[in-house]
Amino acid sequence: MTPRAGIAAGAALALAGAVPWLVGPYGLTIALNAAMWVALTVSWSILGGTAAYISLGHVAFYGLGAYVVVTSWQVLPLVVAVPLGGLVAGAFALTIGWPVLRVRGPYFVILTLGIAELVKYAVLNVEAALGASSRLLFGVPDNRTLYLATLGLAVLAIIVAALVRRSRLGAGLVAVREDEVTAETIGVPIGRYKVFAFALSAVIPGMVGGLMALRSAYFEPLQVFNPVISFTIVTMAVVGGAADARGPILGALLLVVVSELLWANAPQGYMIALGVLLIGFVVFAPGGITGALARPRP
Amino acid sequence: MHRRTFLALGVAGAALVAGAAHAADPVRIGFSIAQTGLFAQAAPSQMTAYEMWRDEVNAAGGLDVGSEQRAIEFVWYDDESNPTKAAQIYEKLITDDKVDLLLAPWGTPTHLAVAGTLEKYGFPMVGNTAASVAIRQVAPGNIWFPTSAIPDKIGPALAALARSTGVTKAAIIANVLPFSQENLEYLVPALGAEGIEVVINESYPPDIADMTTLLTAIKDSGADGVIALSYPADSFLYMGQAKEIGVAAPFQFLLVGPTIAAFADAFGPVADNVVTLGHWSPHQAAWGRAKPFYDAYVLSFGMKPDYLDTALAYMSCEILQQAVAKAGLDKDALRATIASETFDTINGPVKFDGVENAITPTAFLQLQGGEMHLIWPADVATAAYKPR
Repeated sequence: MTPRAGIAAGAALALAGAVPWLVGPYGLTIALNAAMWVALTVSWSILGGTAAYISLGHVAFYGLGAYVVVTSWQVLPLVVAVPLGGLVAGAFALTIGWPVLRVRGPYFVILTLGIAELVKYAVLNVEAALGASSRLLFGVPDNRTLYLATLGLAVLAIIVAALVRRSRLGAGLVAVREDEVTAETIGVPIGRYKVFAFALSAVIPGMVGGLMALRSAYFEPLQVFNPVISFTIVTMAVVGGAADARGPILGALLLVVVSELLWANAPQGYMIALGVLLIGFVVFAPGGITGALARPRP
Repeated sequence: MHRRTFLALGVAGAALVAGAAHAADPVRIGFSIAQTGLFAQAAPSQMTAYEMWRDEVNAAGGLDVGSEQRAIEFVWYDDESNPTKAAQIYEKLITDDKVDLLLAPWGTPTHLAVAGTLEKYGFPMVGNTAASVAIRQVAPGNIWFPTSAIPDKIGPALAALARSTGVTKAAIIANVLPFSQENLEYLVPALGAEGIEVVINESYPPDIADMTTLLTAIKDSGADGVIALSYPADSFLYMGQAKEIGVAAPFQFLLVGPTIAAFADAFGPVADNVVTLGHWSPHQAAWGRAKPFYDAYVLSFGMKPDYLDTALAYMSCEILQQAVAKAGLDKDALRATIASETFDTINGPVKFDGVENAITPTAFLQLQGGEMHLIWPADVATAAYKPR
């Protein structure tokens, strides 16, 4: 990072940290949305951006983290429950990673989507069997606290993602993206790398899920494990450009802003705009915003 | 500036000031609607009630806010069927749009999610389409639930109804979604207490596409009562497939679905004498407002109202209207009024005890010749139960 970029990043962080004191309650909810999506999308890009393994199942990690926090509510303190949610999500990714990461391309996409649905219905049935099919949480922390915690996770995600990209692990994952067979032939331990990156990309979403359960103060499996959350993460990464470290941040922030501008005035228009945006980027700028900016002009 | 122009401007300005003094600003009422997403099919039953109420009140000169009459203006947003989004929208309605009053969103999860926001800003709202034992966990004071369809009361009432119709062996199938499962929890012991044997008790996934295995088992079990704790989509599925397979139990109950006008339209005589959950019928003459509401609704929208959701949504508007006429727009006065007064609604008198409706009894409807009749309890029944 150049000194100038360092100053800019520091200033952005200071500004983001001051948001609860600068804006009203509604502005804070938007900031909370932005921090949540940045944390989720950047975490996703740890595997999705480097090795181009497109997980459509990240909501499973988010939901598991939420489920841990909700089931341990008023049993464990939140400083334990939220990180525990992240660990459970990471452990789950590690477990399913070995078999799931053996398939590539569209098979991986569909398999992750299927696993997320499986987890959703498993939790739904467990909840039904427990006779606790919807849960209310009382005395949750206020939005200011939740925002600062989520912002912390977003920053942590950015740091972890940046460290991975600079490491041997990151180089190995990029090699997997470029040519998985060649990478394996020259000795990159692709199995281990992919599984580790998958688990790493699951931990922060697990913790974010826990915080979001506190935010809504209500838990219902169909809502928390809604696959639209996974779709949104991928859309944000594609729009921003997942290959570049800054892409997921830009994509998440852009879509949060577009969504804010459109949903209130044109709810149907929002979904259309989202579709047009996605098609437009895939067709005309497959590298996303960052890819389009980086490409030398003819 | 020309003298004439100056004069004209002066006159226009005076007219504006005078106009503003006479025509009161509209009362702005905010809410969120599940226009898109999972609950989108349910939203029109609620929205039509709101629109009809607004148009009626505006046609009659506006909402009586204690000292004057003011037109109603809606401020609403799509919550994408997402309770978290709905909570954010109510925060925006209160802090950013600064609405005068609130109406409810659709569904139990959304009501519960919004309850926290209402509590935070001390903003009273009359709920409608929410039914769960969980509502009793909500701190009373800013939200009220006019429904009488709460699972711990439905279970014993349904068991008593089944027993009164002569059911001895019951088969239960239940969706795994919350409302069905809550009902299941209270129903099974209640059936036992009534001496009814439960011969089948199976749960099924929310997106079930084929019930033939379940229904064949029910047919073979010899059950004389079938209780399907179903959501709308699976109620439609049940009705179609139970006919094909020939489920002939005289008592057949579907939890949610038959109150939708499309249900009777889709099945006609096939659905006759199906029993369902609901506490309102236009045929109850003791409720003076019921039939006029029904007739006006059919005239406005060319279809029958949803006997559960549309009725509840309209009741919440009536309660709000009567409370505002007495208390005005002041939040504290409004809260005290809603909490203590008795309101005259299309479902008869309503009075709240804590967050719950203390008057309207838990009741059941039966589809008889395309008309929805109350058959239980006896003091509100509009027709006698008929076996299928």
